[in-house]
Amino acid sequence: MPRQFPHLMSALGLCLTLGAAPLAATPAPRFDKAVLVQQQRQEAARMGQAQIHLQALRTQLGLGDKEAFVPRNAFTNPEGMTVVRLEQTFEGHRVWGGQAVAHVDGQGGVQALTQSVRTGIALSGAPLITADFAKAIAVAHLAPKGVMKVAPVVEQVVFPAEFVGGLATQVDPVTGRRVLDRRNSILARPNAPYVWAYEVRTRVDNAQDGTKALTYLIDGNTGKILRINDLIQHLDVPAPAQGSGKGFYQGSVATLNTSLMLDGTYTLWDQTRGTQPNPYLAYFSADAPTGWNPALPGNQVWYKGSDTSGASTGMEYLFQGNTTNVWGDGLPFTQWGDSGGTNGQSAGVDAASAISTTWDFYGSVFGRNGLDGQGTSVVAMVLDPTMQPWFNGLDNAHWDVQNHTATFGAGSFPGNPKGFQSMADLDVVAHELAHGLTSPNPYQALVAQPGYEEGGIAEALSDFFSQMVKTWALRDATAPTDQIPATTLPWEIGRNVGHGTPIRYLNKPSQDGWSYDAWFQGIRRLDPHHSSGPINRALYFLSQGASSTPGTVNYSACLPQGMKGVGNDIAARIVYKAVTEYFIGDGTGAWTFEDLRAACIAAAEHLPYPYELGRVFDADAVRNAFAAANIGDGAGKPATTRVLFTPWRDGDYIQISHPFADYSNRQVLPTNETVMPRVTVINNANTAVTWSLGGPTTFDTNNTPTAIAGGVINADGSWTTPNQIGWASITATSKADPNQFAEGIAWLANLDTDMDLENDALDMAPIAISWYLSDTLNYSSSVIAAPWVDDLDVSFFVDALRSTWPVK
Amino acid sequence: MRMLSYLFSTLVLAVALACGGGSNPAPTATAPSTPASGLTYTDPTGTGWRLVKDASSTPTRVVLNLVGPAGLKTRGAGFNLKADATVRFGTFMDPSVPPISTGWPIKDTGVFELRNTDPRDPFTGDPVPLDPQDPILLSGAVKKGNLLTVGIFQKDRRATAKDSAQPLCQIAIEFDASAKLNAKDTIALSIVKAKYVPEDLGAFNGGVTTWEMLAKGHPVDMTIAVGSLHAN
Repeated sequence: MPRQFPHLMSALGLCLTLGAAPLAATPAPRFDKAVLVQQQRQEAARMGQAQIHLQALRTQLGLGDKEAFVPRNAFTNPEGMTVVRLEQTFEGHRVWGGQAVAHVDGQGGVQALTQSVRTGIALSGAPLITADFAKAIAVAHLAPKGVMKVAPVVEQVVFPAEFVGGLATQVDPVTGRRVLDRRNSILARPNAPYVWAYEVRTRVDNAQDGTKALTYLIDGNTGKILRINDLIQHLDVPAPAQGSGKGFYQGSVATLNTSLMLDGTYTLWDQTRGTQPNPYLAYFSADAPTGWNPALPGNQVWYKGSDTSGASTGMEYLFQGNTTNVWGDGLPFTQWGDSGGTNGQSAGVDAASAISTTWDFYGSVFGRNGLDGQGTSVVAMVLDPTMQPWFNGLDNAHWDVQNHTATFGAGSFPGNPKGFQSMADLDVVAHELAHGLTSPNPYQALVAQPGYEEGGIAEALSDFFSQMVKTWALRDATAPTDQIPATTLPWEIGRNVGHGTPIRYLNKPSQDGWSYDAWFQGIRRLDPHHSSGPINRALYFLSQGASSTPGTVNYSACLPQGMKGVGNDIAARIVYKAVTEYFIGDGTGAWTFEDLRAACIAAAEHLPYPYELGRVFDADAVRNAFAAANIGDGAGKPATTRVLFTPWRDGDYIQISHPFADYSNRQVLPTNETVMPRVTVINNANTAVTWSLGGPTTFDTNNTPTAIAGGVINADGSWTTPNQIGWASITATSKADPNQFAEGIAWLANLDTDMDLENDALDMAPIAISWYLSDTLNYSSSVIAAPWVDDLDVSFFVDALRSTWPVK
Repeated sequence: MRMLSYLFSTLVLAVALACGGGSNPAPTATAPSTPASGLTYTDPTGTGWRLVKDASSTPTRVVLNLVGPAGLKTRGAGFNLKADATVRFGTFMDPSVPPISTGWPIKDTGVFELRNTDPRDPFTGDPVPLDPQDPILLSGAVKKGNLLTVGIFQKDRRATAKDSAQPLCQIAIEFDASAKLNAKDTIALSIVKAKYVPEDLGAFNGGVTTWEMLAKGHPVDMTIAVGSLHAN
């Protein structure tokens, strides 16, 4: 789903050309901070202008009087343009995923991006269920074991049916196999393109439940759950472990911004960075003796409480009570039960220093006020002794979109030799904070779950900006602070955390053993930290270029002639402009690698002074860099051969039209049956493919099989599926271009419920007899290997029968 | 059964050859064959399970109703019907089932209650409005060998069983001009397998399976009479 920006590009191009200053012998500053501050003061007025402009466009956009646009937030870029994000509303209610972005110049000129505007909404009346009922449904599903820190927030919205969620899977703790997560799978089919819905935003953060921030979309008419979004964005690593950690990365820090409190003690509270308070702190009460107040801005470093055995106490504390303003001992963390003491403070120093560096990077290089452009303060939580067990325990970190907080595990090394050290090193911190750039609020969060290319994009962008922060931080003392030096550091993440072994490699991501270097259809099934591979590599190529020597680490068979990079500074400016102005996450997960490529091209074509002379070269460099990662076509090159699975089904219960969910390009098929896979090869006269069982996503990071690589590929290209229920995958590779392949995946369901060794419609009879009983009456097992039979079985059966023998 | 048929045909051929051996029969006039343009279906006799022609049939599309014996109450039925390759099974567009563009090879006549009779939120247990897209056990396909397999079943045992002596579902057989049939050609139709779900599945016990349910919860084999189909 490539995005197009023809109107905006041409209009912006004209504006920027007319407004460009003549070239000077000495490059002028990238922006004048004083002027920028002056223009930022006009943001409120420009938001109003943007709203008036969008309102006037309603007829042209196919909208009616019931629809409106409401500004959500804005920032002013170094070129003086205010970028305003506006939410689409219908009868005053937010349209889920509906938004527009407007660029407003100093003269009041407005250009709008409207591809996310939703048309054809024809709702009337009110939802049949109440907001409280929707809240009860969400809470019942969430089923918190501990106390919810805050009450769920409910908002009535208009929900586009195309964004209904999909199947969820989980790892069976007994077998280690990935199985259907029935509880979190969505089986709902709104009866219209748009329905009234309630968005219920929940949050739990306690020892029993861990940290969860789940947003539910509840159908306002049926009460069914339409979608569940997880707003916690994680740094996932491949070594689950438990143990202790160290916090010595920054060594001696000469200047550490802290606060002197009213009681004469010091805290790790940096009041020089951050102009808006952190939203998470609103859950805490002010402390009169020290003067700490949640309403005050400034970045802060907290720690998670633990007892002497390393178990979580469920408490969180600001690093405080320090009487000397000297912090940490630079030693590995060992003092469980005293995380706020001198030893634990070392992780706090690491985090505080890294946050300051990252904050200053965005401010100095891009003129950005913090991560969200609004100056919202960051809170870091270090020495997390628990983390969520399903995200590798201690050895992890995450960004919380709702709360603008980052959490870092204490690390399990050396108790666990395969674990990590403290997760508060600069590149991990910069990675997590970059999520705050690319997902500035819950409404524009990139969906970071497997099954979405957006997830890989979010992780890759964080890796890329982490690399840029590291490079900028190590600049020479005399180097300008508003540029990123051309220094070539190893393009990798987490070498220190991994005590010598990086977590990920940007130049050739497959070096980690899990990531892929080039795009293929189906890559979104990978964990986002590994589906990020092609984007990581494309951005590396954009900066550093690609070799034409086969066998070298920076050679790509997708771009055998190689390419010249644009360097760190320009690459970062292109990517920054792309993700803040042209690539707007809208919480739908709909954005693809191709969309990021289009956004980067648009950004390159609109780079401001003094980069405008290089626009054509830079845009072509973007095309080539992405082509080298098999995303789009190279500059001036013919269309690349593509292998694509085509939908096998038509109007099934398990939606095939959903373009990005876990089951997209997948189908439900019978076990032990011969089926004919459907795949197309485009841009090549030779459409022949070679079929193989399994594919790149067959195993996940922990070597857990995510799909079955089984059955038999027959001579006629048909596939006799294995006699095993679950996901199964097959791969089609172009015979003309073996670099091009696609992995298709199907859920294999048992249709032979009457055990007569034949799959036919009569097998529906046992389903009817067993439906919604506590124990199955199936003579064999149920359709999807669950101990009871319900509508999922009905849907799977009907879909599988139709997809295998479509009636023409 | 197939082997017996083959053997019988072979014997007939052998007898025919023996009778005519060595003689020169006089030439007989053969009536010129007339290309067919449609189908004619004659209902079967009897009052048991049967496929009878529906009034909505056209000269090129025979719509057949599945009708059961009077007095028998059922909860659904399904069958596999094999036809010569010279005809094709037709489809029905039904807005009450998923909006597929190619239609379904079976049509619901509205006798059976296919949807959830008491929809509840799975987590709270509270009543919720019926989902108009509630998945239903109505499906069919045409398998290799022109074998139609269709079924229609009430998934919710809380719904009452229905009198079978009425059209329970429909299928369609369509004339295929490319098959080059001649008038009066016979098109073989045969039911390969058929079952219904009986009324008595054991007393409902609030969703908990009982021994009675286990004992009675089986589909029942049945024989469906099929009429004759000719080209015309």
